[in-house]
Amino acid sequence: MAVVTARGVEKSVGTGRAIRRILEGADLEVHEGEMVAVLGQSGSGKSTLLHLLGALDRPDRGEIVLTGHDLGRLDPGSLARVRLRHVGFVFQSFHLIDELSGAENVVLPARLPGAPRGGARRANQLIEDLGLADVSDHRPFELSGGEQQRFAIARALVNDPELVLADEPTGNLDRENGAAVLDLLRGLRGRAVVIVTHEPEAAAVADRILRLREGRLVPEIGTDARPAARALR
Amino acid sequence: MRAALSTATAALRRRWRRTILSAVGIVLAAAMLAAALVVGEGLGGGFDRAAAAADLPDVIVRFDPQSPGAVAKRIAALPDVRAFSLRDEVTNVPIEANGHSDQSASVEIVGTGPRGYAVVAGRQMSSTRFGEVVVERGLAQAWGIGLGSRLYVAGLGPLRVVGLAEAPDNVSYPLAVPRIYLSESALAARFGVAPGTPVDQAEIWLRDPRFLDEVLVQARTISYGVHGLRFVTRAGAKVLLDQAAGIVIDLLVALSLIALATASVMLAASARAEVQRRLGSIGVRRALGASRGHVAGAQALEAALVAAPAALLGTAAGTLSTYAPAGRLLTMLNEAPAGGGLILPLAGCLAVSVAIPVLAAAWPAWRAAGRPPVALLGGVELTRRRGKGSRRAFGRGGRTGSPAGVAVLGARLVAARRSRLAATALMLGVSTAFVLLLLSLASALQTLETDPGALGERYQLTAQLPPSSVREVRALPGVQAVAPRYEVQAADSFNLGETIDVIAYPGDHTVFEAPPLTDGRRLHAPDEAEVGAGLADALGLSPGSTLALAFTSGTELRLRVAGVVSSLDHDGRVAYIPARALLAAMPSAPEQLAVRLSPGADSALVSARLEALGGEPQATGGATDRGQALVAVLRTLLRAVAIVDGLVCLYALVQACTLTTAERRGTIAVLRAGGAGAMAVRALLSGAVVAMVVPAAVLGVLLELFVMGPTLSHLAAAYASLSLVAGPGQIAGVLAGLAAAALGAVMLVARQIGSEPVIAGLDTP
Repeated sequence: MAVVTARGVEKSVGTGRAIRRILEGADLEVHEGEMVAVLGQSGSGKSTLLHLLGALDRPDRGEIVLTGHDLGRLDPGSLARVRLRHVGFVFQSFHLIDELSGAENVVLPARLPGAPRGGARRANQLIEDLGLADVSDHRPFELSGGEQQRFAIARALVNDPELVLADEPTGNLDRENGAAVLDLLRGLRGRAVVIVTHEPEAAAVADRILRLREGRLVPEIGTDARPAARALR
Repeated sequence: MRAALSTATAALRRRWRRTILSAVGIVLAAAMLAAALVVGEGLGGGFDRAAAAADLPDVIVRFDPQSPGAVAKRIAALPDVRAFSLRDEVTNVPIEANGHSDQSASVEIVGTGPRGYAVVAGRQMSSTRFGEVVVERGLAQAWGIGLGSRLYVAGLGPLRVVGLAEAPDNVSYPLAVPRIYLSESALAARFGVAPGTPVDQAEIWLRDPRFLDEVLVQARTISYGVHGLRFVTRAGAKVLLDQAAGIVIDLLVALSLIALATASVMLAASARAEVQRRLGSIGVRRALGASRGHVAGAQALEAALVAAPAALLGTAAGTLSTYAPAGRLLTMLNEAPAGGGLILPLAGCLAVSVAIPVLAAAWPAWRAAGRPPVALLGGVELTRRRGKGSRRAFGRGGRTGSPAGVAVLGARLVAARRSRLAATALMLGVSTAFVLLLLSLASALQTLETDPGALGERYQLTAQLPPSSVREVRALPGVQAVAPRYEVQAADSFNLGETIDVIAYPGDHTVFEAPPLTDGRRLHAPDEAEVGAGLADALGLSPGSTLALAFTSGTELRLRVAGVVSSLDHDGRVAYIPARALLAAMPSAPEQLAVRLSPGADSALVSARLEALGGEPQATGGATDRGQALVAVLRTLLRAVAIVDGLVCLYALVQACTLTTAERRGTIAVLRAGGAGAMAVRALLSGAVVAMVVPAAVLGVLLELFVMGPTLSHLAAAYASLSLVAGPGQIAGVLAGLAAAALGAVMLVARQIGSEPVIAGLDTP
């Protein structure tokens, strides 16, 4: 079953003479339990695509359906509710809140009005599962990059979303921590995961690799993702 | 330089919202500072300027009419006299102009010699040609009289106004009776009156004012036999006016300093946040060889571009908004406005209002530029983060899915900047206390105007009846108590320039007049007195001191001071003494009956009955009717200050919220990306605002209740029994206002956040 479907998505950025069309009819369908990697050069529109899929932005043209919700028909409040219940974001620079401990950062989305029940229990479970129990009281600047990203992943999962979107999740990590994070994302069961990256090694863990070329998503030819993923492990 | 200017302008344009907010803060602070300067400089030096311009005499002596020759002879016998002039003051003269009229004008018929008043517009009246008059500026302002206007004076017909005068020996119309000046020689020429018409006033200038006391002692001696003698000294007039002005000046100066401090803290925080955002570009500039000074200078230039026009606007607004009311106040007090003398202080105000934001902006840039360029390029924090988070504080605090948890986060985000939180809470607290104080003052003014009880008066009517009528009046329905009341004027035997209103009752005067006791006890023995705080201050009296009263009859009475009381009605220069002692010293003391009504009695009905007895009853009031104009001006001033104070509070809240959101742009974007809607954002901001407002409200209320209110009440104690401690209604009102300002700030900033795309904040590291 498709968790998210994008059809004919077009998006321009910039204004006036600096306007630039970066998505020109992008199509994508990601199913439950599937992990898709989107490769592309810097500025090719990878992050823009991720923002559109995660209901953070609206396309100029085209349709995006997320867990049955046509995002184009929703008002900003409804879009926020969709993000709250159905989407989890993982960012390159973690975006943990300095004043909160790792555990508090994880539970934060569960405290938002409208969040599904059971957030605190899930947060504790995620902290245990991701091996963060010993450092859960530490604040972000007391944690390593890998630990910070694991807390960020736990935060993305705390409301049990169907779709996890990861924007260059290994961009700020060393090889070892990067591999651990990719392993984690790979191991998320029952969810659709989209990661965008410019590193082919990071994309290799995915079930399917797409390349963003001239505003369209095209399958990456000649890449056998699974052996590469195994090699990374 | 041109390149630096265009870079700075472009940077300001990019963040125009924050630029405008900073500018608003500078405008408010500069406006408050300028307003305080205009009022402070005006009231502070008004008397001296007017006295200098008018060449105010060192002593003004009033007495029952005497022949000018006899008076001149006595004055000539005084030592150290530089000059003197004699005049006749005719009171209760009906006058009319521009549709206004007054039955109690004072016409001063001015002889030769110095005049003791300044002509501030037009010219002196002719000493040979009849038909010209000089009027007091306060009267001209109140009645819209200009040069060339016609003024009708009973018995003299229409006179042409040729000049406007200012004489700071007394307050002006409408606080006092209208005062006009006519030339004695012109009057004599017109009506054929021979020179030598009796005079009742002498103005004396001394060679050396330090010998004033000696001259007064001598004057008292040589004026033996002159009745109705009363001395007014230049120093005495100044003390009275300065006391009243001092409170207003102190309040304004304090408030303007708070506004300036608030703006400075906010601007410094804003500049710091801006520098934090630009660490990368500062690092690049440093790596390319820019000096520390160059980096700080660029930041200072940006700040100057905002601060200079904002400070100019604020200074102009503050000056324009207060110059006219302050001028009206000064005119009422017969004092001179500062005029050109304000230019330098205002230029200083402008310089300070520009310098503080510029320094506040340059300092963090200077500090940041001192870091190694590598660290700056790596995005180092300006302040090192310390401390350990607590899993319990937030993780188990809020309920799942409720705004409370997000609000707690907002509070914690604000609390993370402890010094700023403390400064903001302190400023809001002091502002809250000020608004409470101003409201209390406004209520107190209302009370003074309408409630005789504020002045300690417990009788409601007076009747011109002899003491023998006491029994008859007491028998009237509605009368609770009645007693003879005596009031005469005396001088202090040791300091003849100090005139004292002496009030006496046969029994316990507190039944009829109970001005609050501030020191000592009530009088019990026949040789004891209670003195007003103003008199106690002037003469250095305290319980146990000796009060020596010199009466116009020539007799002297010595009494022991039992207590000091507050009194507004007599400028605090009052003494309550037993009637027996007064009548022994001055058997002809004027008398009337003081009538205290039973609770709920009909004053009009009792008045009618007293009228039937031939008592010419009169109702006592609060502050005099003529004081209402002053009260109105003060109320306007207080209201204006309270409004500016409220705006400063709102600004501080909006600025604090904006700063928090600017610094936490990434955090808020992550929250929004994670599904936080408008309500969650509002909850977050509410938490932040509550963290600032709650301690501020507590601080403000405590500050007013236990510090400001009691302190100002004590200062005013010389005049009246005023409670300047805010009541529950006022506290509730001000707290509601603070809550409304907080809500306004939350809505404003939340709206701003909502208008920004979520992804814009995600770009911020």
